Amino acid sequence: MADGRIAVGAALSEKLRILADAAKYDVACTSSGTARRGNGSGLGNCVAAGICHSFSGDGRCISLLKVLYTNECIYHCKYCVNRADNDIPRASFTPEELCRLTMEFYRRNYIEGLFLSSGVLRNPTYTMELIFETVRRLREDCGFQGYIHVKAIPGAAPDIIERIGYLADRMSINLEFPTAEGLRRLAPNKSRALILTPMRQIQNRSIACREELARYRHAPQFVPAGQSTQMIIGASGETDLQIMSVAQRLYDNFGLKRVFYSAYMQVNEDRALPALPGGPPLLREHRLYQADWLLRFYGFEAGELLSEDRPNFNMVFDPKCDWALRHLELFPVEINRASYQTLLRVPGIGVKSAQRIVKARRLGSLDFADLKKIGVVLKRALYFITCRGRTMYPVKIEEDYITRNLLYVKEKLPPELRGEVTYRQLSLFDDGMPLSAGEQFVLTAGESGAAAGSLWERSSI
Amino acid sequence: MTTVFVCEDSLDGILTGVYDAWDSRLGHENVKLKTEEDDTMELFCQYRAVRTDVEKAEKVLRTVRKRMGEKAREAVCYAAACPDERKADAIYRLIVLGLSLKDGSQAVNCLQNPSVLLVEKLRYKAWHEAERMLGFLRFQELAGGILYAYMEPPYAVLPLIAPHFADRLFQENWIIHDRKRKQIAVHKIGSGWFLADAVLLPPGFTGEQTESEAEFQALWKTFCRSIAIAERRNPACQKNLLPLRFRPFMTEFQV
Repeated sequence: MADGRIAVGAALSEKLRILADAAKYDVACTSSGTARRGNGSGLGNCVAAGICHSFSGDGRCISLLKVLYTNECIYHCKYCVNRADNDIPRASFTPEELCRLTMEFYRRNYIEGLFLSSGVLRNPTYTMELIFETVRRLREDCGFQGYIHVKAIPGAAPDIIERIGYLADRMSINLEFPTAEGLRRLAPNKSRALILTPMRQIQNRSIACREELARYRHAPQFVPAGQSTQMIIGASGETDLQIMSVAQRLYDNFGLKRVFYSAYMQVNEDRALPALPGGPPLLREHRLYQADWLLRFYGFEAGELLSEDRPNFNMVFDPKCDWALRHLELFPVEINRASYQTLLRVPGIGVKSAQRIVKARRLGSLDFADLKKIGVVLKRALYFITCRGRTMYPVKIEEDYITRNLLYVKEKLPPELRGEVTYRQLSLFDDGMPLSAGEQFVLTAGESGAAAGSLWERSSI
Repeated sequence: MTTVFVCEDSLDGILTGVYDAWDSRLGHENVKLKTEEDDTMELFCQYRAVRTDVEKAEKVLRTVRKRMGEKAREAVCYAAACPDERKADAIYRLIVLGLSLKDGSQAVNCLQNPSVLLVEKLRYKAWHEAERMLGFLRFQELAGGILYAYMEPPYAVLPLIAPHFADRLFQENWIIHDRKRKQIAVHKIGSGWFLADAVLLPPGFTGEQTESEAEFQALWKTFCRSIAIAERRNPACQKNLLPLRFRPFMTEFQV
């Protein structure tokens, strides 16, 4: 290991190359959650929504200077590129170097702040002390007011975590694997308890701190942007249901701001690790993120999206579409009357469109043309909604029919919605639409979806 | 016959146009607002040039703020920054609608109205562009420690983004240069910022970089290269989130 070590005086650029490269598998690069105006003497502020400063070649956002303090590590986590027995070049920053980099990058508007993680040098507490010294120097000596995200190392003393928490905006502790069994097998030096204990500590401390803040306006803030965590997907043979249940529990019981999912990347050859000839499971990761949004912003629960007999997401449809197709008894919903929560559950309607619908319908009823302008994705939504009691054109509320149509949306989008003009050639042999115009059903709002469904079935010749 | 009020392509210009068009008492359906660079003349129209008057503009903006709320004011300001020939008229119609409603603050929600929808869309576009520029703007350090950034945005975002940097880089001297509109925003250590014509670049401004500037630019490029995961390469996604038009101005994409 020592032969690969970069000398202490090595060029800063070489260190940066190694330590940014070692940090790239950490997913979180968000700078959101804190709103802080400049204090007039130091450098920087924070924007609640976060700011992306660039996007790297893999399409991920670059918001923070994401580096490891050191990539030397005493642990043997099987999946990790920095594990002790890997023969790779090793390097460590000094607190001065990190402060200088952060300040100068920040002045030039390259970054929102610093993301500091680390390999384990000697022991977790010692490493966290080094991180603390860096962050303290940055905040107190350099007057840095930007965003700081610190990765806590499981097993570090509670005292050091608390001290860092008062300086950082966000802290995170990686859960690594959704199952305790996977963690035991692939990260022998870590355990579930070691990870969850500091997570609980941070949660309790920030709740207490919020109470203090309510009482004293200038009470110091503890991890104001909350904590996040990260799980590796596809390395320990877990199901999507297990992952989503864990995520749900983390949001509900630990008050986490974000759970990140990272498709397993094969960096080490190891018997315990799966081979991934098809590359990292990126589509699966994508579906998990979609479901994660459903948990956080759409009022869904993990148990609704997946079940024991369907433990994995449908790769063809997104989780919401998949859910809607299995719950057709709840559809169609009337756009002009349905509650906000109901609108959110319609495929093709997102948070933004739902909010716009709720606002706009106060001033007059909405039609499909309005919905299109508002931003509703009609090619998905049209099977699930009515406007003023009518569906957009005769559709069957039937799983096979909708599935077939959703898979070929391009051909099926009716011509009147593609352009502004609404003329269409009449056809005697239009097998896609079995109803004539006269037969079009007017669904009154009082009719239940189930009754409507059976009506449609009758009409399919 | 329709009377077209031709106003300057700026927030003040458009708001003056709104004032004059209203003040002309020709009736809302008989007037139309246009911005200057739209040079396609219409038949059967009378054209009337609007002389920008900051006082009139302020009056209109104050009324919008008071009767239609902060959201409407913001929508008008952002929509006026868009390069869209329909914006002036849409803003006029929004204000007409807002002042006719009992609760003027509801006007911006009335998305069934094509003008309101247009203003809302333009507002979002300009806001989005400004939001992107907050991240994509790159400063370089010039001799004397002045931070200098330049851009050529299709939207007039300079006045929208300058307050952010005035707060963030309070203890710095900086200049943001909009090369397309030949405008600069200037900030002096520990004070406010102001807009100026680009010919007024401060005396002694040579554009020469400090010694350490090249070093940090190189470090930043190194960082951006090593943070990308090769197995996940996805240029299409990168292009969606960071369109090519921004890249000539960004350090990490300059050779």
